[in-house]
Parts: sequence; C-alpha cells; structure tokens
Amino acid sequence: MTPRLSKRQFLGAAAASLAAPYVRAAAPVELRMSWWGGSDIHKAQLAALRRFEARYPNIRVRAEYTGWLGHLERLTTQISGNTAPDLMQINWNWLVLFSRDGLGFYDLRQLGDEVDLGQFDADSLAFGTMAGRLNALPICMAARLFYYNASTYERAGLPLPTSWDELFAAGPIFRSRLGPEYYPIDLNLQDVVAIGRAWLLQRSGKPLVDEQGRKLNASESDMQEIAALYRRLVDEHVTPSVEEHASYGNVAPHEMRSWINGRYAGVYQWISAIGKSADTLAPGQRIELGAYPLRAGAVDAGLLYRPAMLHAINADTKHPHEAALLMSFLLNDEEAVRALGLRRGPPVSARALKTLADDGKLTGIAWQGREQVRTLPNHIHESGFFEHPRVRDAFMEAFELLGYQRLDVAAAGTRMYEDVNQILKRVIR
Amino acid sequence: MRAVAPSAPVRPSTPAALSNPASLRPPALGQFARLLMNLGPTLRYSVLIGIGFLMLYPLLWMVAGALKPNHEIFSGIGLIPQAPTLEGFAKGWQTSTEYTFTTYFLNTFKIVLPKVVLTVISSVLVAFGFARFHLPGRRLWFGLLIATVLLPKSVLLIPQYLMFREFGWLDTFLPLYVPSAFATEGFFVFMIVQFMRSFPPEMEEAAVIDGCNSLQVLWHVVVPVIMPAVISVALFQFMWSMNDFLGPLLYLSSVGNYPISLALKMSIDVTEATAWNEVLAMSTLALLPSLLVFFFAQRYFIEGVTLGSVKG
Repeated sequence: MTPRLSKRQFLGAAAASLAAPYVRAAAPVELRMSWWGGSDIHKAQLAALRRFEARYPNIRVRAEYTGWLGHLERLTTQISGNTAPDLMQINWNWLVLFSRDGLGFYDLRQLGDEVDLGQFDADSLAFGTMAGRLNALPICMAARLFYYNASTYERAGLPLPTSWDELFAAGPIFRSRLGPEYYPIDLNLQDVVAIGRAWLLQRSGKPLVDEQGRKLNASESDMQEIAALYRRLVDEHVTPSVEEHASYGNVAPHEMRSWINGRYAGVYQWISAIGKSADTLAPGQRIELGAYPLRAGAVDAGLLYRPAMLHAINADTKHPHEAALLMSFLLNDEEAVRALGLRRGPPVSARALKTLADDGKLTGIAWQGREQVRTLPNHIHESGFFEHPRVRDAFMEAFELLGYQRLDVAAAGTRMYEDVNQILKRVIR
Repeated sequence: MRAVAPSAPVRPSTPAALSNPASLRPPALGQFARLLMNLGPTLRYSVLIGIGFLMLYPLLWMVAGALKPNHEIFSGIGLIPQAPTLEGFAKGWQTSTEYTFTTYFLNTFKIVLPKVVLTVISSVLVAFGFARFHLPGRRLWFGLLIATVLLPKSVLLIPQYLMFREFGWLDTFLPLYVPSAFATEGFFVFMIVQFMRSFPPEMEEAAVIDGCNSLQVLWHVVVPVIMPAVISVALFQFMWSMNDFLGPLLYLSSVGNYPISLALKMSIDVTEATAWNEVLAMSTLALLPSLLVFFFAQRYFIEGVTLGSVKG
C-alpha cells in the first residue's frame, strides 16, 4: 500500500510542477473573444474553443462573433466604450485605426511564455508591430495573385498567361474565338487599383505610399502610367468595362453570372479569399493558379503582401495571461489547427504549418499561392495607409471617371495624384 | 338606408323595358364597342397583374431562391428551381452557431413587442399633450421634437453607448426598447398629432362636462377615434424594429441574445462563399411575421397613413 501511495503522491507532485505556470489561472476565468466569418469558420472556431476549454477547465470562453458586415463598427464602439473583448480578430489596416502609438492593444512582448513567439518569423512579427510594440500576431499572410478559369482557357485554346504580354494578347483572342462576352480576367475598380500599384512597383521598386512624407511615393506621370494601363486593359478586351460591370448591379465578383459560367476567366484575388471564387463556379469549371506576370527587369513583384487577419489582445484586459494562452492555442496548437485547417488561409505559425503538413493538408490553390509568393521577388512593405478607405475611394473614383470616359488618361492620372496626395496629408497624422 | 335594396336598378324601369331586356342597352352600342367594353377590364387587369408581378418579383425570387441549390441561384433569373430542395430551410434553421433560429426569433420578439407597446403608449400621451393642451412654449417644444427626427442617428451612437454602459445595460435588451418609453420617435408623435387635429374637440369637451379627467378623455374618447393612427404607429415600429440591424449589433455581444436581423448576416463573410439558399430561406421565414401583421391590419394602416395627411 505504502509504495503505491507514494507513487501517486509523486505523480501528483510532478503534475503540479508541470502545471505550475498556470497555477495563477486556477481561479475560474471568463474570457470574451470576437471574430467575424462565415458558417464554416464559426463552426470550426467554436470547435477549437471547446477543445481549449477542455484543456484549461478553469477558463470559459464566451464567443462573440458576427458576419463581416458591421463588425468594424461594432468593434469601434466597443473600443471607444472600453468594452472590447479580451481577444479579438482584427484586420491589418485596423492597427493604424486603433493603435498608431502601439498602445491600443496589449504589448505581447510584456507577456511571458504563454505566447509562443518563436513560431513566427521576424517578417510576420514586424507586420504586427506598431511603434515598437508587438500588438498583434498574424493568423495568415496574404497577397493578391492571378487565378484563372482553366476550363475557359482550354476552350480558347490558350495556355494560362505567364507574362503581361500574354495577358494582353489573350484579350483579342478571347473576343474572336469565344465571343465578345468572354474576357481573360475580371477586374473591378478595387482590383484595378491593386494591379496598377503592382505594375508601377515592378518598375520603381519602392512602396507607393510614403508614410513619413505623408504623400505618394510616385510622380504625376507615374499615376498617368497606371491610368493608361487601365485604358489599355479595357480597350484590348482584357477586362470588362465599367459599363458592363455596372450592368450586373452591385454583385460580388464571385457571384456574377459571368464568373460562375466561366465567361470572365480570371481574378486577381487574395489567397486567403480565393476559396469563395472557386466555390461558386458552376459544375465542370476548374480554377487554377497562374504564373505572376513580371515586367522586364522587375526588381519586385509589387505584391500587396500583408497579414489577412490577426489576433490582438485588449490593452485593458483583466486576464492578459489567459487571453494569451487562448491566442497561442488557436494559432499554434495541433488540436486548434486541425479544427481550423486552411479555412483562414495558410497559417503563419511554424508549428501549425508542420501539423498541417504532417496531416497532408497543405494542398489546394490557396496553398499553391502561398508557395508562389515565396518564389517571387518581394521586399516592399507597403504602408497600411494604402488601404485606408478614403485613399482607396479616391483611386477608384478616378478610375471610374476614366472608365466612363469623363476624363482622359492624362487627366485621370493627374486627378489621382492630386486627390490621393491631399487625402494622405490629411489622414496620416 | 336599408330601405334601398343593393340590386335596385338605377334607371326607371317600365314594364315594357322589363319584358324586353335588349331595350336596356344603349342603342348606339355596336359590335366593336361591345368588344371594347369587355376588353377594357381585361386590359386593365392584365396591366395591373403584370405590374404587380414585376413589383413582387424580388419577393418571389427570394422564395424561389430558398428552394434552389446554391450554384443555381445566381446563374439565372428564372423562378422555377430545376431540382427544388428544402435543404436551405433545414440547414438555415440549424445555423452555423450554437443556437437554432428559434432562439433568434424569440429574441426578436423580446425586443420588438415591448418596443411597440412602449412606443404606442408614449407617443399617444405626448401627442395628446401637444394637440390639446396649451403649454407655455408649445411651438418651441414641438419644433424641437421635429428637429430630433432630422438628427442623424449615427451622431447619437457613441454617447448613448457610453450612457448604457454606465447603466450596466450592455448585452441586455433594455437599451433597445427602454428609450421608446420616452416618445423618442418624433415622427410618430407628429403623425398622431396631425391625426388628432383633424377631429373637432367638441366630443372631448362633452366628456369633460360629463366629469372625465384628461386621461379618461384620452382613453374613452380620443383613443377609439385615433385607432387607425395608433395601428399605423404600431405597424411601422414593428417593421422597423424587426429590420433594425445597427442597434442590436452594438448593444448585444452574446450570440445567444442576437435577433433575426443579426443572425441573418452571421454567415456572410468576405473570404468565404455564402450559402445564399440558407440565407434566403431564413429571410423568407423572417418576413412572415411582418407580412401577417400587415395583412391583418392593412385596412387600418392605409387609413391611418392617408387620413392624417389629407385632413391635417
């Protein structure tokens, strides 16, 4: 009897010493966590939370989730009312909205081993750092890449474009072989802004927004160059005009009839969101990742490479350590990673990647996209202000006027240059 | 009134006319004109039905969409599903959350019913005051009330949020309906005031002479008369509250407290394709209460909205 008892005591002591870092968390704690997402994400995320609660029985997590619509408005109200959740999912450009000085969210370096920072490379940590304070950890990194409807390209008798010239050349061929309602790629105005930036950066090799100088890192003639690019894309039947786009009403690109039926045969889409474009295709259509076109002598691909979403901890949380445990669990732990899979795009955490690789889950067009990004020249860190809603709107407005022929190429470029510079001066403070 | 039978012939009928029905027809009416007479209503009704169908098309499309599989929804504008399925209803009701739509329906009514009752009571009281009592500075107060109608709601969001936070009311239904107890919808007060002005005050004066106090006058004399306006207010508030998205979004943080308007948008994300058939199926069900209430109260509703505007 005695030796068995002592063995049990020994095991108990060992367990206690293992659990030592969490002893202070032994009192029951309720955490609040918020995220946005769709049906699949809600289910997966809830499953991951249940596993977390099983692992740490003293912590309850209250899930506060919504769809995308209104999430920012709600978070803004909560943050200004000091009622934000302990752990929240944020968009990358929200960091400049809530934490320009780095004090808007908890500094994760102040926490101990609960956050396993070793799983993240320096680059992804830099994206979550504001004014020297680590505010957030990325869930997944994203860039816009070219994805094509391979079935339509086969019908046109063309291989997927591998260069800008091949993309331009595909326009007239689509028109003559398949008909005027077929286009090699579908770009809405927001995509045009992104593609114009990529086009310019491949030549200039520097970020488009100069945050220090509060202005565009480009000249007026540079802006006219991207206006001319859009004019050319439309004129050469590479992408549908604004009029044609408008005739579909205010419909998301992946829900447009022409995309579903394969008449618009390409997108310039985030790797974290390409799943939706693949899901809506009518049966029999196949989507494939295309090679990224580079201009001759390009020093950089001009990717808009940044976290698709991040986790951040409330600066005033009462339970920073428990929130950090939860954050680390969701980002790194095998159980959570298996529950979430690639639904949030390819994860950043090294441990999460290893788990998915061991399970053979690193497949599909989103993962191929992530691998393509690693092979491309990609050194430019764009300022978060490039995606500021007002900057984006100013660009889009100029492109729209150009598209409706209310402005010519030179005037549209000038307008972009003047309007965006003016807005940058006002919003960067 | 009852003496005249409803089917009494209009023109004076002589015995000769009765014995020869053909003589009742106007003599100049030819074959073609008779055709036109019959064509008139046919044409009128087919135009009306055609336009009615066009107006109802989005609604019908929603119901049809609820019965279609997802990829079929956007590929055509036809109404008839190729392979009708109730999957959207079944899955939509289950939702992707920990709760079913039952919870969201119940939550909606927990907000909407108190809100409608409080709005009606407070708006009628305040309107009665403005319409029948000569308070000092009445015009100014009424002007201020109308000014609140013009105030953009978004201006109030953050201050109200902070106030309700201090009350400890966040994540409860209270911030969503308690304000209605203070006649905060100036438009409703305005509507009822206009309606009351269209009635002469003599009846109320008679009631006062008979010994009624102000509240008794309101209850026994005024309320029965302004019933159409009251029902319009209740209906408007019912429909607006059913559709309110921003209020619940800000004040309710627990998913278990969400009303339908939030729950419907739960599965719409920017990175994931949306199961629109489920959303449409649940939207169809969410519309039913409003439709039913409207049909039952339709007569009063139309009267209430138009009468005040014409006679006011």
